[in-house]
Amino acid sequence: MRRDSRQFLVLVLVIAAAVALSGCGKKRVAEPVAQPMDTQALRGDDLPLTDRDETIYVEPGAGVFENIHFEFDKYRIRSEDEPILQRIARWLKENESIRVLIEGHCDERGTNEYNMALGEQRALAARRYLVGLGVSSDRLVTISYGEERPLDRASNEDAWARNRRAQFSVSQ
Amino acid sequence: MAGALRRALGAAAFMALTLVAATQAAAPEVHLSITKGFGEKVTIAVPLFRGTAGAAAPADMRSVLSSDLRYSGYFNVVENLAFVDDVEADDRRTGRVQFREWLALGAEVLVRGDVAVRGEDLVLEAQVFDLGAGRSIFSRRYASQPAQWRATVHELADDIVRHLTGERGIARTKIAFVSNVTGTKEIYVMDYDGENGRRLTKDGLAALYPSWFGDNSAVAYTRFRNSGQEGVAIDVRTGVVRRLTSFPGLNAFISVSPKGNELAMTLSRDGNPEIYRLRSDGSEPRRLTYGSSTESSPCWSPDGRRLAFVSDRSGSPQIYVMSAAGGSEERLTYQGSYNTSPSWSPKGDLIAYTARVEGVYQICTVDVDTKKVVQLTTGAGNKEDPSWAPDGRHIVYSVRSKGKTDLYVLDIHDLTQVRLTSGAGDHESPAWLH
Repeated sequence: MRRDSRQFLVLVLVIAAAVALSGCGKKRVAEPVAQPMDTQALRGDDLPLTDRDETIYVEPGAGVFENIHFEFDKYRIRSEDEPILQRIARWLKENESIRVLIEGHCDERGTNEYNMALGEQRALAARRYLVGLGVSSDRLVTISYGEERPLDRASNEDAWARNRRAQFSVSQ
Repeated sequence: MAGALRRALGAAAFMALTLVAATQAAAPEVHLSITKGFGEKVTIAVPLFRGTAGAAAPADMRSVLSSDLRYSGYFNVVENLAFVDDVEADDRRTGRVQFREWLALGAEVLVRGDVAVRGEDLVLEAQVFDLGAGRSIFSRRYASQPAQWRATVHELADDIVRHLTGERGIARTKIAFVSNVTGTKEIYVMDYDGENGRRLTKDGLAALYPSWFGDNSAVAYTRFRNSGQEGVAIDVRTGVVRRLTSFPGLNAFISVSPKGNELAMTLSRDGNPEIYRLRSDGSEPRRLTYGSSTESSPCWSPDGRRLAFVSDRSGSPQIYVMSAAGGSEERLTYQGSYNTSPSWSPKGDLIAYTARVEGVYQICTVDVDTKKVVQLTTGAGNKEDPSWAPDGRHIVYSVRSKGKTDLYVLDIHDLTQVRLTSGAGDHESPAWLH
């Protein structure tokens, strides 16, 4: 653990230096939602997960928490889904007591085992993006269901595209 | 294994003939008048067992023994049962083994069984002959509860394999797997031939990725609980579940070390899927891999000194190995763009894995030293999640075909496939008990 925290500290310092040098630091503080930092470049190690607790998560009301989708075998956030994440980030800033469970899902085509890891990467990618927009990382927890919970059980391109998703639940 | 053998046999077995005891003491005890080249099979005659044994029909016992011997990969069984039973009748009538008649049937080895119920016990007395040399290879008396007759026949099959090849048989091993037959994925255990299947978990939530503890008493797996994953272990006899891990994020792909005192698994607690090593109770997680890519699906080498795993650091999932202490990482697979689910062979030389070949998942092996890849399966139907038998010769895996998933076993020497499961539901994610 000591080794972990040291590495983490080094990474934080490196990123802080990079941000300061590039001059984005001020801009981000002034207008975080409109001009996010490059969250896709953020390393997973920068954002350890918060310990589990007994929070119960429920399906959110319609409107803000739309699913976001992914290319086959990929976990990069697509540019067309960025407005959804920006809307979620804004909503979370107005509702500071709410925590979010981000579920990562895959289509049936990868191997069952690897899809479980890929689903987690999708949830983590959404989490990193929201943190980049200023949402506190300890409000965002992740779970992967791999290919266990498809929205559409059909075996065609449309169904696969719908199933490759990150889906959001909110704390009660 | 020797301990388990003695326990299973009970006291009765130690009253066996002195001759047998003497034979068993000598090692290695490979008896055969015929020398076989690699891959050549021994032809064995299995006449109907004599006697009656209540629930255990002699014809069923013969049938189980014959299929065990074929399954082992070392034997052909003489198929013309009418001829076999005629010669057996001659043996009984004359009181001597008619070696020349057996040889004329093409048989090289004969196994003869007498069954009876004595008191509470089913007693099987077996004699195995080297027909070419005209002598006994071994004889042994097995006692068990009548309901356990399958296990008794499996034990005889393992003894035949051991005496004739020097290799350890697998007829009494078990396979854990996942089935959704109840509508939810739960862990089940069955015999190595698909018989005696029984449900182990009753979580009512998906139970995934079973892995045996080294002492065979428990199966570790991943389940969903309280908006998260948990790594748990279920006691095979009592059904008692104990929690191993409940970290935030992934708690998946538990692989129990060969000694059973440690786990390797994938956690994402530090913000990225990485390989960790933990004590067998899930405590003291120690991170082994670092990077922004996905590191997943660890699997111990049989000597416990290395781990195979999957990483997408090259841009696609590939098989790697590293020291079990972390470091010395080395990529093994370079063919194709999707190689996952490594399983390290008990002999240590090969790693079986799932490879996407022309859009279909197939089972391959890669040689750990030379990195030579061999594709073992072909044809339609996605094959996933290979798991080695303790003999290093058989691999169990799942095949998805016509909307249904079932388990198959492959003999990597002659590439014969045997289907293990059928009926309602999908059967997947097998783990062979070592």
